Amino acid sequence: MTSSAEAAGDTTPAPIELRAAGVTRSFGGVTAVDRVDLEVPRGQCVGLIGPNGAGKSTLLNILAGAERADAGRVLLGRRDVTRLPAYRRARLGLIRTFQIASEFSNLTVLENLLVASPEPALNSLASAFVTRRWRGPQEEALEQALALLKGVRLEEKADELAGTLSGGQRRLVEIVRALMSRPKILLLDEPTAGVDPGRIHDVENYITTVRSSGVTILMVEHQLEVVNRLCDSVYVMAEGRVIASGSLDAVRQQREVVEAYVGEA
Amino acid sequence: MGYYISSLTVYWIIGSIAGLGLNLQFGVAGILNFAFIIFQATGAYVAALLSLGPDTAFGGFQHYIFGARLPFPLPLVGGVLAAGLLSLIVGAVGLRKLRRDYQAMVMLVISVIATTIATGDHSLVNGTAGVALVPRPFSSLTPLGPTAFGFAFVAFSALFLLITYAIVYRITESPWGRVVRATREGEAAAAALGKNVISLRLTVFVIGGMIAGLSGVLLVQFIGAWSPPGWYYQETFVFFTAIIVGGTGNRLGVLFGTLLISVVIGQGSTYLPQFGPTPVFVASMQWVFIGLAILGFLWFRPEGVIPERIRRLLKQP
Repeated sequence: MTSSAEAAGDTTPAPIELRAAGVTRSFGGVTAVDRVDLEVPRGQCVGLIGPNGAGKSTLLNILAGAERADAGRVLLGRRDVTRLPAYRRARLGLIRTFQIASEFSNLTVLENLLVASPEPALNSLASAFVTRRWRGPQEEALEQALALLKGVRLEEKADELAGTLSGGQRRLVEIVRALMSRPKILLLDEPTAGVDPGRIHDVENYITTVRSSGVTILMVEHQLEVVNRLCDSVYVMAEGRVIASGSLDAVRQQREVVEAYVGEA
Repeated sequence: MGYYISSLTVYWIIGSIAGLGLNLQFGVAGILNFAFIIFQATGAYVAALLSLGPDTAFGGFQHYIFGARLPFPLPLVGGVLAAGLLSLIVGAVGLRKLRRDYQAMVMLVISVIATTIATGDHSLVNGTAGVALVPRPFSSLTPLGPTAFGFAFVAFSALFLLITYAIVYRITESPWGRVVRATREGEAAAAALGKNVISLRLTVFVIGGMIAGLSGVLLVQFIGAWSPPGWYYQETFVFFTAIIVGGTGNRLGVLFGTLLISVVIGQGSTYLPQFGPTPVFVASMQWVFIGLAILGFLWFRPEGVIPERIRRLLKQP
């Protein structure tokens, strides 16, 4: 798979959308993430793989701002966001999904998407008291949300409670909800986890569509065939450290990577 | 009889106002505010202190701080604002950095601390005896008999119920309310979408606290007195029970739950003839009923009698 810049024949390296520099995080005596350096070029899909307990999700949490780093920096574009809380990083375009589908269960599918809209009139208490202030923006957001749901063939479920959907459908809702937030970069934490095999293809297709629309993606994923199909490059983590990076085919040949996976088995 | 009916109606209305405030916090935002009653008490005490005049009045038989004799609606405004200010302080401390279950414990502890202070320091709000002879609103203009006053107060408090209902409706059914409901479902997921969860929850906490304060103001103006036994921490659970029984997150459910729990079981039992092995048997059984109601509904019908409405935004075929 090639990036859009390469496809256009442009050999200039893509600017870095997200960068981790020396990120470290310990829990008690255990170093879950150990001096990790990582770069995600703009417009690309980068995979983050490794055996269970490698520190992938912790790193994703740190990048998203859900957990603080003990040391190191996180940069979004050129901006240092290390000290920003999750919601402020999200407002800058750094949006993440969760390992366990995190739909708002008792809201409808459509409401799930509308909540994600960053439109000021839909996020203001003052507007709540003046219907005409939010009616128009809500109609626009509704149209956008329905178009997104149509893209994942969930428009029939728009008015159903999100908690009643299947695992795969909830995954898709979570991803399209993230798109309603107008992300620059999406951090996907095991997007195919809990999805029935018949639906994994739908999730993959949709991630490809999202990436084609120019959204940068960093994806934690256990299924290497999924990573192979979707990602331009990968980082491999084991015991909190990045032990290899590059194309999946290349890192598969490295002894440390083989040991990390075989050791797990 | 007319007086009883008007009294029970006023209790229902004021209880519903308070219930709408707690429902905004608990039903809509998912905040377990086990200190809810102290915000009602704050409204009541401040309104009393702003209308009683100096504590040398009436022969100086009660002691309290800052007595002023302000005309309506200043005691009401003062009570609501004070409850809002206390909510801001308590919320800013209690709603940050802690998981929700620990937040609930903090609130419970704050409630106990507040009663301990109010009862322990007699110079604040007259200790355990509480404050009495709180003037009625407009009492100088319209001296009414008890029954006429009761029915006048039904209308007076109903006006505030309507205003509260309208405000809560606007908030809950707006896009902003939808975002708040999302924080109830998942704080981390909402934050990951750019929502400032702490600010949203704190805002709802303050609005709910001000509504609690309003209910306290109305209650003290109706009863004419306010003392610690009326706002011990367990009183908060009467409101929680009313909401859970009526339907968490449903405004009409709050009105129904308040009627059943606060009025029929809570106030109604006080009109029953006393029986049983001890003089407080009937009053004690009231708490048993409330406890059983919570357990029964949480086990068998957690959505309550009138469940939260599903907001379907598309036109149905």
